[in-house]
Amino acid sequence: MMRDKGNFISAACLAAFGIYVISVAARLDYVSEVGPGPGFFPLWLGIGLVLFASGLMFAPSSISRSKAKGESQSWKGAGRALAAWSALMVAIALLGRMGFAVSFIVLTMFLIVALDRRPALLAVGVGIGLAVSFHLIFVVALDVSLPKAFWGF
Amino acid sequence: MKHRDILFRITIMTIMVLSSGLAWSQEFKPSKQIEAVVHTGPGGGSDLLARAIAELLQKEKLISQRMQVVNKPGGGPAVAMSYLAEKKGETHTIGFFTGVWVTNPLTTAEANVTVKDLTPIVRLVLEPAVIAVKADSPYKNMQDFIEAAKKNPKKLAQSGGTITSRDNLMRLLLQKATGAQWNFISFPSGGERLSNLLGGHVQMMVIEPQEAGEQIRAGNLRVIAALTEKRLAALPNVPTIKEQGIDIPLIPQARGVLAPPGVPREVIQYWEGVFDRFEKTATWKQYLEQNQFEDGYLKGPGLSKFFDELTVQMRDVLKEAGAKVVR
Amino acid sequence: MEDLGNLLLGFSVALTPVNLFWCLVGVVLGTMVGVLPGLGPAATIAMLLPLTLKMDHTTAIIALAGIFYGARYGGSTTSILLNIPGESSSVVTCLDGYQMARQGRAGPALGISAIASFVAGTVGVLGLMLIAPPLARFALRFAPPEYFALMVLGLAMVVFLAGESMVKALLAMLVGLWIATIGTDLFTAESRFTFGQVKLLGGVDFIAATVGVFAIGEVLVNLESQGGAEIFKLAKGLRNLLPTLQDLKDCRFAFLNGSVIGFVVGALPGAGATVASFLSYGLEKAVSRHPEKFGTGVIEGVAAPEGANNADAGGALVPLLTLGIPGGNTTAILLGGLILWGYKPGPLLIQEHPELFWGLVASMYIGNVMLLVLNLPLVPLFAQILRLPYYVLYPLILGISIVGVYSVNNSLFDVWIMGLFGLLGYLMRKLDFPASALILGMVLGDGLERALRQSLMMSQGDITILATRPISGTLLFFAAVILCLPVVRKVRSWRFEAIERES
Repeated sequence: MMRDKGNFISAACLAAFGIYVISVAARLDYVSEVGPGPGFFPLWLGIGLVLFASGLMFAPSSISRSKAKGESQSWKGAGRALAAWSALMVAIALLGRMGFAVSFIVLTMFLIVALDRRPALLAVGVGIGLAVSFHLIFVVALDVSLPKAFWGF
Repeated sequence: MKHRDILFRITIMTIMVLSSGLAWSQEFKPSKQIEAVVHTGPGGGSDLLARAIAELLQKEKLISQRMQVVNKPGGGPAVAMSYLAEKKGETHTIGFFTGVWVTNPLTTAEANVTVKDLTPIVRLVLEPAVIAVKADSPYKNMQDFIEAAKKNPKKLAQSGGTITSRDNLMRLLLQKATGAQWNFISFPSGGERLSNLLGGHVQMMVIEPQEAGEQIRAGNLRVIAALTEKRLAALPNVPTIKEQGIDIPLIPQARGVLAPPGVPREVIQYWEGVFDRFEKTATWKQYLEQNQFEDGYLKGPGLSKFFDELTVQMRDVLKEAGAKVVR
Repeated sequence: MEDLGNLLLGFSVALTPVNLFWCLVGVVLGTMVGVLPGLGPAATIAMLLPLTLKMDHTTAIIALAGIFYGARYGGSTTSILLNIPGESSSVVTCLDGYQMARQGRAGPALGISAIASFVAGTVGVLGLMLIAPPLARFALRFAPPEYFALMVLGLAMVVFLAGESMVKALLAMLVGLWIATIGTDLFTAESRFTFGQVKLLGGVDFIAATVGVFAIGEVLVNLESQGGAEIFKLAKGLRNLLPTLQDLKDCRFAFLNGSVIGFVVGALPGAGATVASFLSYGLEKAVSRHPEKFGTGVIEGVAAPEGANNADAGGALVPLLTLGIPGGNTTAILLGGLILWGYKPGPLLIQEHPELFWGLVASMYIGNVMLLVLNLPLVPLFAQILRLPYYVLYPLILGISIVGVYSVNNSLFDVWIMGLFGLLGYLMRKLDFPASALILGMVLGDGLERALRQSLMMSQGDITILATRPISGTLLFFAAVILCLPVVRKVRSWRFEAIERES
């Protein structure tokens, strides 16, 4: 079942992560001259992670079974979600050079046009409208600075 | 006649252009908002000092533009120092430093900026420290505490910051000089350090007289030693640590202003001028008194020398403290 | 009796037109600051400090305090409507508040939030007035072992946030605890898990992480289906725009719970409103008749934490005004303000300047009333935001998230963190790992490790110190009870199933 496979993979990742944490923690001092050292807590966290993750990996499904909550079960829409996330990360990358307004409008356009197949004009309208509102509320009214490009916004 | 007239006019104009050009290249005046970088969040010691100074400078009309405090907390001063280093040559940015700007890079490998990379402008304040105990404790002076610590090694405790902070370094110096040993418990905020002392969970702490002042007045704390060269004006009955027979190097907590690297000479001169005048004002003196700071005004080569000496001193003390010194 | 006279003095100070005006300005500004994620009251107060130099000092503290507790009212708005925590103390409100909004009950959620805030805020002021000095003395008895026990109690709530799978909740919590270790170690000044990044020396910014996990994660889940699923059921009719009488009845205990826990935890220096709101939520779930429903949109799940973070404001003023010790960032600025105006905050402040203390207390009563009157009518207005078409709403949420997170430290790095945590939040949703456990770990991780190491330093390595001190022993006992209950329940249900299968 999809669920068990998902559990297994995530548990394996977490177990691997736990091992990583233990390895870093081992390099830190377990005890310092003023009590437990910086390695103390992360070491136990790593151990806990490995323990519980292994439990999840090899447990009978009765322990990890959840009553199916329709929404989070299928991975069908994952492609769309990940595309949206990538667009967000691109927009964040653009923030420094292109400023908030432009990056935000680009992101909005991607979401509305590429993901939703709605008219580009609508996307531009929404993007500009929201960007202007943000600018007015945050930069003008509240004196908060937003990432700027060389054209000032 | 006409030629001489024209020649005269041309000469005057040339002189005016040249002199204004010279003046323009020799004087700096800020033309937009000034950014004052601090390494604490809002409410931290540097933040409050920077805001107060910004306010007082504007009040005394010593600067024509607004000074905006920008908080860049993280890793002690590391994030703030890194931010300043990135602003190379930026004329409208300054930073407020404290002693930790010197010590932190010595122990933190990720900190890629040292105080030598930045442009020192002026040292403004020296913060003295005192040793305080709870008022109803049996320690009336430093000797009492040291003896009690010797009788019960590692039983008594002191509250303070990280092990590389001034509090702990003073403790290590004291322990070395007297042979006594006591514990050190770190607390992130001054409020917690004080409340643990008042609650009797630790027995002493190193504290600034301004913080201790009100508790003393209310009868909650007793100061048993002043960690200064001379007795403090506000606490004339408290003997210095030297007077009590313990001779240790005193680590000053300095606060002042510096600028990003690569800043032109005129900018430095501008700020020196501003703070020169500021130091003489009555409002500054009043602020010093209110907060029980010592006037530590120092600029130019003397300031660079101070940083160098402090770095060496700190490196030695840190090594003795057992901290991992990476620079 | 003397207090009554002082209170009357206080009201006479607070009811002057100037003070009333600035009280209003303060609470309105505070509410606005609280609504917008990222921008916090600490930064706002710090910015306004210079302006206050020209004012009468009592007026100034009335205004600044208004911003402080006003922000706690506003913080729940975006939490409920958009799953974006407006303040770190409003993170818990997202859990049930947002679910209520999805079920068309945004109005009642916002309304109960305002009412709980009013009740708890008022109780907080009452507490400040009546028991501030003894409470401050009690708070002094809290040493690191007690803080540790408090944190463990908070983490025991994970058991309650477990929902379906306790293992997954524990794993999420452990990851959260790990995230809390990123940065410079307080004690040894060594850096941990910073991957060589200077910007991680201060740790992961809490707002960036929570906005990422909650808001961004939620948006990503919703974007899976084209045309955006019918996410929000819209409320029909005015009746559904405010809490019903039944709702109010259900929240009776939550009001009390939030008030007491918020106020007491607020008085402990170092423990913040976020901790108070988690504890209050956990307690509410513990005594509820239907604990499994928490997280699906239970109104007490909104009332308790929202009350707690308001009572916390009153509590935080206790150590500040009675001992001159600031409990957190915002109170540290208030302290700075007091010093700037020439006061000497300390144990003698109340005696020497009664008009300051009592004027402030009286104005806080008035301020809480103002806030209730302001916020309730705005509820239907705010709820209309959900009527926006989703193709406007989602960019709006993303935009607010980016702006809010950026504005905390003017740091693009934080926005990157938000993006990364957004992906994490999405994956956690898909794989059924409770995000709330992750956040709980992040909130309590710092405090937990710190308190443990401090306690061991105090006892020279003797771990029994945690159990032998009266207060910490009691708290740990409760935590143990809470931890054992579901395990017992689970074991029983396994055996039940095993028996069933056999027969």
